[in-house]
Amino acid sequence: MILVVAEQKDGRLNRASWETVAAAQALAAGTAPITVAVFGHDVAGAAADLAAADVAAVWAVSHEALASYTPDAYVTAVADVVAQLQPTYVCLPHTYQTRDFAPVLAARLDRALVTDITGLVRRDGAVLFTRPMFQGKLVAEVAADGPAPHLLSWQIGAFRADAAARGAGAPVTTRAAGIDPAAFRQQAEPPFQEAKAAVDLSQAERIVAVGRGIKAQEHVALAEKLAQAFGAELAASRPICDNGWLPMERQIGSSGQTVAPKLYVAIGISGAIQHLVGMKGSRTIVAINKDADAPIFEVADYGIQGDLFELAPAIIAELGAS
Amino acid sequence: MERETLDVDILIVGAGPAGLSAALRLTQLQQQKGGDPLAIAVIDKAREAGAHSLSGALLDPSTLADLVPDFAAKGAPLACEVTADSVYVLGETSKFRLPVTPPPFTNHGNYVISLSQFVKWMARQVEAAGVDLFMGFAGQSVLIEDGAVVGVRTGDRGIGKSGAPRGAVEPGADIRAKVTIFADGVRGHLTKELIRQRQLGGAHPAQFGIGLKELWDVPKDRLAPGTVIHTLGYPLRQEEFGGSWIYAMPEGRLSIGFVVGLDYHDPLLDPHAAFQRFKTHPFIADILRGGQLVRFGAKALPEGGWNTQPRLHTDGALIVGDAANFVNSMRLKGIHLAMRSGMLAADTAFDAVRAGDASDARLSAYKTAIDASAVKQELYPVRNVHQAFGYGTYVGAAFAGLAMVTGGRWPEDLHGHPGHTRMRRLADYYGLVKRDVLQASNAVVADRVLTFDKVTSVHHAGVHHEEDQPPHLRVQTDVCHSVCGPEFGHPCVKFCPANVYEMIETPAGRRLQLNASNCVHCKTCDIMDPYGVITWVAPEGGEGPQYDGM
Amino acid sequence: MKIAVCIKQVPTREWQPRLTDDRRWVRDTDISYEMNEPDAYALEEALRLKEKHGGEVVVISAGPARVQQVIREALARGADRAIHVQDDALGVADAWAGALAVAAAVKDEGFDIVLTGLQSDDQGHGQFGPVLAERLGMPHSTIIMEVQIADGRLRAKRELEGGWFQYVTMPLPALLTIQSGINQLRYATLKGIMAAKKKDIRVAAPAAPVASRTRVVSLSLPQKSKQTAMIGGTPQEAARELVRRLREEARAL
Repeated sequence: MILVVAEQKDGRLNRASWETVAAAQALAAGTAPITVAVFGHDVAGAAADLAAADVAAVWAVSHEALASYTPDAYVTAVADVVAQLQPTYVCLPHTYQTRDFAPVLAARLDRALVTDITGLVRRDGAVLFTRPMFQGKLVAEVAADGPAPHLLSWQIGAFRADAAARGAGAPVTTRAAGIDPAAFRQQAEPPFQEAKAAVDLSQAERIVAVGRGIKAQEHVALAEKLAQAFGAELAASRPICDNGWLPMERQIGSSGQTVAPKLYVAIGISGAIQHLVGMKGSRTIVAINKDADAPIFEVADYGIQGDLFELAPAIIAELGAS
Repeated sequence: MERETLDVDILIVGAGPAGLSAALRLTQLQQQKGGDPLAIAVIDKAREAGAHSLSGALLDPSTLADLVPDFAAKGAPLACEVTADSVYVLGETSKFRLPVTPPPFTNHGNYVISLSQFVKWMARQVEAAGVDLFMGFAGQSVLIEDGAVVGVRTGDRGIGKSGAPRGAVEPGADIRAKVTIFADGVRGHLTKELIRQRQLGGAHPAQFGIGLKELWDVPKDRLAPGTVIHTLGYPLRQEEFGGSWIYAMPEGRLSIGFVVGLDYHDPLLDPHAAFQRFKTHPFIADILRGGQLVRFGAKALPEGGWNTQPRLHTDGALIVGDAANFVNSMRLKGIHLAMRSGMLAADTAFDAVRAGDASDARLSAYKTAIDASAVKQELYPVRNVHQAFGYGTYVGAAFAGLAMVTGGRWPEDLHGHPGHTRMRRLADYYGLVKRDVLQASNAVVADRVLTFDKVTSVHHAGVHHEEDQPPHLRVQTDVCHSVCGPEFGHPCVKFCPANVYEMIETPAGRRLQLNASNCVHCKTCDIMDPYGVITWVAPEGGEGPQYDGM
Repeated sequence: MKIAVCIKQVPTREWQPRLTDDRRWVRDTDISYEMNEPDAYALEEALRLKEKHGGEVVVISAGPARVQQVIREALARGADRAIHVQDDALGVADAWAGALAVAAAVKDEGFDIVLTGLQSDDQGHGQFGPVLAERLGMPHSTIIMEVQIADGRLRAKRELEGGWFQYVTMPLPALLTIQSGINQLRYATLKGIMAAKKKDIRVAAPAAPVASRTRVVSLSLPQKSKQTAMIGGTPQEAARELVRRLREEARAL
């Protein structure tokens, strides 16, 4: 069977949990039962949400000491559930939290952990996991070695949350976590938000990037409107930042930031290789350029050859209307 | 913050073949002759040895055999021996193979090498011998006191574009030495300053070419390893000096390169574009078919020969290698000469330090040694050849033939001209046809399979510079913004292989934009700008191209 | 205070991978290497902790002989001594194998705090630090932006998603994985480089055979899985079609 470790905060499920369910379902391919476990203190609501998934069971694993995350608490709680269920695979979403405790869990269980998985491949009777290597320059097919369970953390967005099959309603059981808080070494203070001085494009889900095709500084405002219409952050290729039309923090490329958002819209960008290396990992790439030969079209999923000064307003209007 | 100081006996500026040969020779002398251990320091602007080393390259192993007799046992990376030589003259689609390979182009006994790997290997020998190799320290200025060279100051690190600190700041260090050996390569910026300050310029002006090189991986059976091909002709015209090389290395690795003399007349000539166009010739395209570009690089090379050497010594200083213009442009070889000059400088420097006398008179022993050495034996007979090419390819070739036969006997030494003075004005060269010379066309070809644009080439040079630092190209832009356009059409945009120079339209008119972080440190701009208003200085140490395998 | 920093030697950021013929690994002739960037920040943090609290900084690296390059760099920046867990297999082994090899080599050292980068720029498993912590029996935290030490306890600022942060406290000895940008890196000075040559580098062979838990079966360059769909028509038509496709096909809106 496959165990999915869902993630919640303050009773609300992290959307990545649904992605992990979808991944587990793809891995199971209908032949292995899936149990989803959610850990925390007040997790009844989250567990009830998860029951809508097409899985065999949902466990709400609860303990006061799990109310806020610490690695010791979660490692022992999950290890306890693993001991009970004896799964073949343990699937987790590759979140900051998972990155914090999953390797320790793997070490404590003395089992393989494959992280940041983008997909799975079946070959010669074995399951292989694809993951990026060398900062995304290469894709690796990786096998996990050693005895079960194998721990797998799935890259955010590798599977779509709405791809998780829904079912008739899985049974939910509440269990007390088998943990001893006295042994926990870390203490966590409440999380807080910091007003970041700099723009962090690497966290943006959508980006509209503008290049030389915008021609003049006064037209950058059009790109800004387009970004707003998409609900996206505004970024730029190097020449725009070199000119001072946008600050350096908004630069994408080998001398700027590397991003991989869900949606990347490149307007008036030719696609010089220095720019491409900064964005070609984006999930969906849209390119708008006057030049049909521009290299950007080689990496774009959708391309429009045309005048951005006509297309951008049209897209803004279309997005506003729908 | 306080500036670091270091006192040594001998400072070597530049960890290329000349500088490292000097360092290694010094350790050998130390061992042979004993006495107080010498304090030796080598500084280089590259992050690691070999990162900025680029050459074809064909190594004449004679000097290596003298310096490190057991070089084979020590694992010197001599990839393969030359097995076949040929020279072709190319027309637009035709090729004509010279029935006999002219002697300067024969390479029996020579090796196809990667200079970068070779320099890496030399650096390991130098470090194993206990010499301090300070990589990532760029020389900034020559320290002169009472007319004598007393050392070098390295550049500050951590300064932002505006001049304010970017983060942690490390002021440049003063390295003081009894003898400083200048081995900073072709158009070395410190040697240039030294020559100016101490008036070491020779009677004959230095002359240069630009070499552009690519590494390719092609199907392994395409060319046998050790195959050496040189071409003349297409796409260069009779009035232009240059040609190409193709050297086959093991495992399908190919070194292919193109040299253009930096003394051309056409102000709009673009050496990078010429190189790309050269690859479209059917003969060349066939060789590269199905292959993959691995690396790109560019570097100037000294072409003027024996007579263009500067005065090689002054109080406290010696000049070696490419910085002294010791390249045999007829044989297209300079590594063995650089190494030889480094060894001879080491001999002189060692004696000077032991004698406690680093005066110009004492150091002149180096020049005496050069004159008695294989360096002069090789360079003197061909001292006029490159200058003869100034009269056109046919005259040059004929002269070269003559020089071979007569051993270089000629009544008078031919005088060359600084290459940038031979660039003709637009109106003069193209007539009074009105044209906007910043049109993107101009014979640029880039299909991204066989040929590439400059920006892609820069990417393949592995160039890295901190963006937030003062630009390292010092340009008197009032010239760019006034007369250069009408007179020459902004040739910097053309001759820079890395797209560092761009003229962009602004509301205030055409302005020069410097993409300084693209720079591959080739020095072409410092050499070829017709007004002489560009000065290349070293950017922050540890940056620049990454010429793995070049 | 005894501070350990684990650093990894990785190919430079500008390196473009070429695969071996069997596509099981990358061709490693002509690769230029550098110190893994997050590890460089971990080293700087360690040096600052030493400047503040006294003690020694021990730098540790696992891999073939060539990793001496980054060890020497760390010594030149101010680390006091080094441990090189040397084995060619460690150059391609995964984070698990590396952590086990290092744990065995340092188990008797008694470090108060161990710092390492949050993940390596080559394989990027992000496991080395936490696995090492578990093997050394230390508490840990990851992706750290600030370190405070007082009275035998550690308080560290952890980075979370979306601009959120959290402070975590734990007793020493402890291990932290460090995020890039936590501080400003210092440059190695001439004196530092010269002094590095005299500093002690203990070379240790791994206590047990190097055994990864994950195995690279094949490598490939990322390919685009579909052709570019060019959308034509008038600007209005193209805009409508693009938005429709983004919404329905790509689910990007």
